[in-house]
Amino acid sequence: MGNARSSTILYVALLSLLVLGGSLFTGTGFAASLVIWVAINILLAASFRFVQLIGELNFAIAGFAGVGAYVAGVCTTKLGLPFVVAIVSAALAATLLSLIVGYITLRTKGPYFMLISFAFTEVLRMVYTQIDYIGSNSGMLGVFPPVLLTDYYPTFVVAVVLLSLIVLYKIEQSDFGKVLVAIRNNDAIVQTVGINVHLTKVSCLAISSFVAGICGALLAHANNVISPDDFSFLLAVYTLAYIKVGGESHIAGPILGASVLTLLAQVAMGFGPYEHIFYGAAIVIAVLLMPDGLVGIIRKLLGLPPKPQAAAKH
Amino acid sequence: MEIFGQLFLNSLQISAAYILFSLGLTLIFGVMKVVNFAHGEFFGLVLLLIAILVPWLNSPSVPLVVAYGAAGAVSILATMACGWFLYHFAFKKFQRDMVGSFVLSVGLSLLIQGLFLEFFGGVPIKLPDLIEGNLRILGGAITTQRLVLTLIALLVAVTMCWLIAATKLGKSLRAVSEDHEAAMLQGIPYRKTALYGFLIATFLAAIAGALLAPVTVISANVGSDFLIKGFIAIVIGGLGSIPGSIIGSILIAVIESVGGYYFDPSLATLAMFVITMLVLLVRPKGIMGNG
Repeated sequence: MGNARSSTILYVALLSLLVLGGSLFTGTGFAASLVIWVAINILLAASFRFVQLIGELNFAIAGFAGVGAYVAGVCTTKLGLPFVVAIVSAALAATLLSLIVGYITLRTKGPYFMLISFAFTEVLRMVYTQIDYIGSNSGMLGVFPPVLLTDYYPTFVVAVVLLSLIVLYKIEQSDFGKVLVAIRNNDAIVQTVGINVHLTKVSCLAISSFVAGICGALLAHANNVISPDDFSFLLAVYTLAYIKVGGESHIAGPILGASVLTLLAQVAMGFGPYEHIFYGAAIVIAVLLMPDGLVGIIRKLLGLPPKPQAAAKH
Repeated sequence: MEIFGQLFLNSLQISAAYILFSLGLTLIFGVMKVVNFAHGEFFGLVLLLIAILVPWLNSPSVPLVVAYGAAGAVSILATMACGWFLYHFAFKKFQRDMVGSFVLSVGLSLLIQGLFLEFFGGVPIKLPDLIEGNLRILGGAITTQRLVLTLIALLVAVTMCWLIAATKLGKSLRAVSEDHEAAMLQGIPYRKTALYGFLIATFLAAIAGALLAPVTVISANVGSDFLIKGFIAIVIGGLGSIPGSIIGSILIAVIESVGGYYFDPSLATLAMFVITMLVLLVRPKGIMGNG
């Protein structure tokens, strides 16, 4: 067991180094953008999945990523703060906001959080369009990464994403992570052992939002332009598609799903503006035909037992 | 005083449509524990079908009212057939699985919206007025058309409430949403009741669409805006509660018309959200939610 585990770690480390090294050679063209998009989408999906550990769907992820993007944009372009400070403030701002929203909406079971998170994203989008300081409808321009990083921005993004994925995975494997899954399976039992379910749920959302804030900051500096429509609930729905196609029982699911769908989407968009149909069909097909997505299929191929999925039924 | 009359009339018009819309959402949730994200697409389908059928039917020999009536009837039937199809091939498998059904309906909603854009195009359509003329009530102005449509919508809502409160079907719907296992023990056929609940909800969305057809600018994603307001309404009111959805709808309609008059529409939406959060702070399950 210990041997298998250390070899897995070795493989993951080697793979990470390979990806990291590969990203050095992408230059600044389309390939570089593609690497950045795939990496950020993977992290968004992993962050979305983290809240699924407590059995909730976090559509506010698009909103939190948007807050991160705008905060980071303001920091670097308006206030002239260093890039690192921008990323950290973006993550903290998203976390702070998520604590407020989470505290209010995660108190009860039921779809209250799901629905409010969706409304939250759309309301934030409307708020951006009303503020002239951040460019209202037309958005913010000229959000560039620091000159030192320009050539290595894809590598930087990949490094941050890998690091965040490892941290998220470590948290999932820790005792805290086990409590999260226990809450999804039966929150009453968790409550009876003396664990504060409400605060645990809120912390789970806060961790996920911290990561979402980082995603937003990275995205803003990759695209150089941010506008309110970049952070509509569609972003959250696309993220949901990555997870559903990839599978949610393992952290490899979001990685697989985001990579496959982001790359496939690039091919599909060549045929015309079918983005809605593409992602909508991806979700419907995944939900109806492939429970636990690509990860589930791989498990079957390897002859591993399917991981039981605890659906939050009420 | 005139302003109050006007704001009252505006709130009345908006709330009539929201009530029909959120009544359907809360009904599906109560009976099947499904939050139907694709509810707005039923509404959109009726509007888009009417937008195609009315100009096609309307000619010198066919008066506009007949064209609207025929187009409305055909579109509502087509939408209900679509609802039946979705129930049988998708939602039936995900009853009482709140997260699974929500994911499914999000996917369906996106897919259907993409198909709408494909088939109907992205150009917004405004249909001709059904009834000409203006009226003055309580010092406020309203077009005769809007008043008539609002009254019909309220009539449908009242009928629906009566149906749910007094008939056998309504009683079984309420019994199932309270405790579906206890309801089944009493001999209430759960699957049949769930199907009826889903179809009634589809009908409510469809009729809301048909009634708004002459006064709305119709586009492929017209359902989305209603969906957010519908969600906010049922969350404020308490999910699964019929009176709750009506209270919630009226509340957001008042905020929308008053906020929209004194400030601007986006600020009104923000206010709606903040008020929802305040309500949830005091009552975590909404105004009429129990527990």
